[in-house]
Amino acid sequence: MKWLLVAKGKVFLAVCLLLLPLFVLQGAAQERLGWIGPIYQELAESLMRGFKEYYRKTYGKEIEITFIRPGGWPVCVDKVRLWGGKPDADVFLGAGAPAHELLKALGLTVPYYHKHWDAIPAQWRGMLVKDPLGYWSAFAPWLITNIYNEVVLKYLNLPVPKTWKDLLNPIYRGHIVQTLPYASGTQHETVEIHLQTMGEEEGWAYNRYLAAQLLRFSTGSVDTLHIVSRGEAAIGVAQPQMNAMAARKDGYPVAALVPDKTIMVPEAAALLAGAPNEENAKIFLDWLYSMEGQKYVLIGGYFPARIDISLTEWEAEGIIMAKHAREALGVDNFWDIEVELIDYDLELAKARWDEVNRYYEYEIFRKWDELKQTLILIEKVEEEIEAARKRGVDVIEAESKIKEARTLFGKGDYGEASRLALEARGLLPR
Amino acid sequence: MRIIPSLRGSGSGWALVWPARFIYKAKGLSRSDILIALALWLVVGFVVVYPLIFLFGESLRIAGTDRFGIHNYLDFFKDPYYLRCFGKTVLLGFLVLIATTAFGLPAAYILARYRIRGKTIFTALTLLPIVLPAYAGAFAFIVFFGRWGTLNLLLIEWGIIKAPVNFIYGLHGLVLIQAIHLLPFIVLGLMAAFTTIDPSLEEAAEVEGASAFKRFFTITLPLCTPSYFASAVLVFLWPFTDWLTPIMLGQTDLLPSIAYINIAYHFTDMYRKYMGIVSVVVSAIVCVGVFLAVKAWVERKKYTVLSKGTMFTGRQVTPRLLSRLVAYIYMLFISGLVLLIPVVLGLSAFSRRWVFTPIPTYWTLENFKLILVETPLLVRNSFVFSGVALVFGITFGLAAAYLLARTRVPGKSALEFITTLLLVFPGVAIGVSYLLAFWRTVPLATHWIIMPLALFARRVPYFLRMAYASYLQLDPSLEEAAEVSGANKLTTFTSISLPLLLKGIFVGVIMFFIMAFQEISTAVFLYRGGWETLPIGIYLNWHRGMEFGIAAAMAFFMVVLVFILLLIAAKIGGGILNVAWGATGRRS
Repeated sequence: MKWLLVAKGKVFLAVCLLLLPLFVLQGAAQERLGWIGPIYQELAESLMRGFKEYYRKTYGKEIEITFIRPGGWPVCVDKVRLWGGKPDADVFLGAGAPAHELLKALGLTVPYYHKHWDAIPAQWRGMLVKDPLGYWSAFAPWLITNIYNEVVLKYLNLPVPKTWKDLLNPIYRGHIVQTLPYASGTQHETVEIHLQTMGEEEGWAYNRYLAAQLLRFSTGSVDTLHIVSRGEAAIGVAQPQMNAMAARKDGYPVAALVPDKTIMVPEAAALLAGAPNEENAKIFLDWLYSMEGQKYVLIGGYFPARIDISLTEWEAEGIIMAKHAREALGVDNFWDIEVELIDYDLELAKARWDEVNRYYEYEIFRKWDELKQTLILIEKVEEEIEAARKRGVDVIEAESKIKEARTLFGKGDYGEASRLALEARGLLPR
Repeated sequence: MRIIPSLRGSGSGWALVWPARFIYKAKGLSRSDILIALALWLVVGFVVVYPLIFLFGESLRIAGTDRFGIHNYLDFFKDPYYLRCFGKTVLLGFLVLIATTAFGLPAAYILARYRIRGKTIFTALTLLPIVLPAYAGAFAFIVFFGRWGTLNLLLIEWGIIKAPVNFIYGLHGLVLIQAIHLLPFIVLGLMAAFTTIDPSLEEAAEVEGASAFKRFFTITLPLCTPSYFASAVLVFLWPFTDWLTPIMLGQTDLLPSIAYINIAYHFTDMYRKYMGIVSVVVSAIVCVGVFLAVKAWVERKKYTVLSKGTMFTGRQVTPRLLSRLVAYIYMLFISGLVLLIPVVLGLSAFSRRWVFTPIPTYWTLENFKLILVETPLLVRNSFVFSGVALVFGITFGLAAAYLLARTRVPGKSALEFITTLLLVFPGVAIGVSYLLAFWRTVPLATHWIIMPLALFARRVPYFLRMAYASYLQLDPSLEEAAEVSGANKLTTFTSISLPLLLKGIFVGVIMFFIMAFQEISTAVFLYRGGWETLPIGIYLNWHRGMEFGIAAAMAFFMVVLVFILLLIAAKIGGGILNVAWGATGRRS
């Protein structure tokens, strides 16, 4: 057994030596702060840089900041839920109202009125920008937009699609990409926009037709941006407004287009319940909404939220991103944008969140191949009917059948729609 | 009976010894074997069974209630969509295996049997894909083969095509990328087999007048089958665990992808999450079944060559001019395909805004300047976590391989069964199970040790498989001879088994370390700020969307780093590579 003890001792010593740097490093940190959230890495780095500098200047000591981004905001919310009130972070950084409302309802966040509460509007064009009870407030608002690649559209000789209806034009078929509503909050809210503005039946029919136009489903909003930026697809649906700005800044020929019906997403921050570093979290939130903090928000590629900001002035101060933001927004302050927002029912959206995701998954995503084949068949038969009509054939009955087939397609009964389309074809003379 | 009194002073020791003594007496087994088995079971219980119980429990939860049941499983088998995903995953497994074998068989044969110049570098290049996270290879291939990638742009420029061709998006692209990523498994497996076949068997066939072709198919290939299938099963199972590469290529109708999507994106929809976990469990069970079937077959087909104890390399030949030429062309083709990944990553790393041009037009060191601030931490973490996991892995893996191959300890099949589960469990599931299991009652998730522990749990089968396969090829009579001559088990192991197992162990160590080094899907769920590894850094920078250059710089840095490691291993240890694999062809 002696050899075993000696061997064990050696292994233990080797492991200790190997791990020594970590213990040393862990022991060295004094002040700490942790963030979790779906914000892009660039914003996290910008905020980290700015806040560390502020903390050093104000308190004369260093602060160690950790940032966890396990995925999009649904994944982040799930991670906080897994922590079960014993969080491994202090601040939930990013995500819109639905995520923060859920965190609030689960008791995972606590109210905190930061020092600049009044500099953030309570509402904008009918949409909440901050929680009246103080649980969350927007630090970086944006609109839901679509994006397109200028080079690819030009190569394909296609016009820029300006409205949601434009996207259904067959000329765009196979050139559009979007993600799944349960993979991205932005995409989910886009589906909700269609449902709330068109009504459920027409809204789902629209989404079926749009799905038939897709090249493929992406894995998330960032993936959509990536695919469009590289030109793999010409058009991307459901994008945070600042994404095109970030892509353009990096030299990609990507532009954003605010569609005819959209909403504002109040990218917000909140204090987590049971935050291990609550005091530092409050200091950070106070700083985040200050003029200085908001500049770092902009440098990180997001639009700042304060009402008293002038991008022109910031540009004059030498902040390069202020120029990009002004060009992207077309105004001097985000809240000056002239846009018609829909009357978005947040309560309704929250109440049917899972139901909408599941319906989309089961009735559109899972049946995507069948959906596309059915629509192609209907379109083909319609062409045949048109050709027969031009030849003077009586196509009234066939027309009635194919119309019914379209109606059934809109309702998601692809099998029956295909059967009727084939029946319509059968009514035409050979 | 000597060990038992020495443990008498310890109360906890008795807890182990009494059952050991009982089983020992009942089965006539060695005391040390029983103690090793008990220790291994404790480890497995803690790092595997305990978290997986949480995971399995989650799969039985009925959404919207506090009840448990098999409803989710019934739903899975009633749902045509999940069945389609399952069928497609099996198909992908076969396609990837076929493609990997087609690429790997000639390469392994050339590297193991031909005396050609540059064999070390060819070997190292062939091993390269395994050091890359699979998704890094996918990025590179998308950049090169994408609709507006280098190849399409060049073909359009040369007037060969008019519109971009879809080279990469779809099942075909996925098969290509996964086959290249998994090439080292097949090549290593086959090389090990080619070098350990006793040359006298092939020479005997040659003397009897068999042609090279006949010799290869009637002697060489059949003798390789145990090693080949030990590797092939890993390749076949890979599509059951890789969720990211298919998703990147728009292929979501596969079990791991759908499991990841369901688990990661369930938000408030608990039914979606439970179905994701069910997908993981179902695929794991099927994979374990496949694995066990292959294992049974491998054991039945075990070839024992008594003379192996005195041979370190197999038959080697100096190829004729034509064969040599074909060998060089083939190895250059394989190397070119493999090198495409680091080359494209390298070009991306030294540039920005590379899009719509065949090669970058804007060169910069900015990406490296940026990552040099971050990378020391990431590199250190990667080494420390993988290193600690390796210590765990070797200790556990050697003991487990010995138990599985050489003893009749009760429950060894169950031990293997459980460690095998790890091979096929998606990292995300292990990540989630660790978060569930090691948060409240055993709060390990707040300490960095959770990272190497998870790496160990996730990657130990890679070492274990190699060590186990080596044990299978080692004739027990050599060990028995030592024991009959009076050597105890320890002496037998260190003086007989270990030297003969060295090749397999060394391969296992490299495979384990590399696989741990590039692991992301579990780590991404467990890391906290300050614990980021290189793959997580790559993922995070890629996830920004536009910062491909920074991600590429990190990936390139990682490739260079690990490639240098491989070369150092080949040079220093290696004598081991040289002697064991005949990599430089010094010996005939």
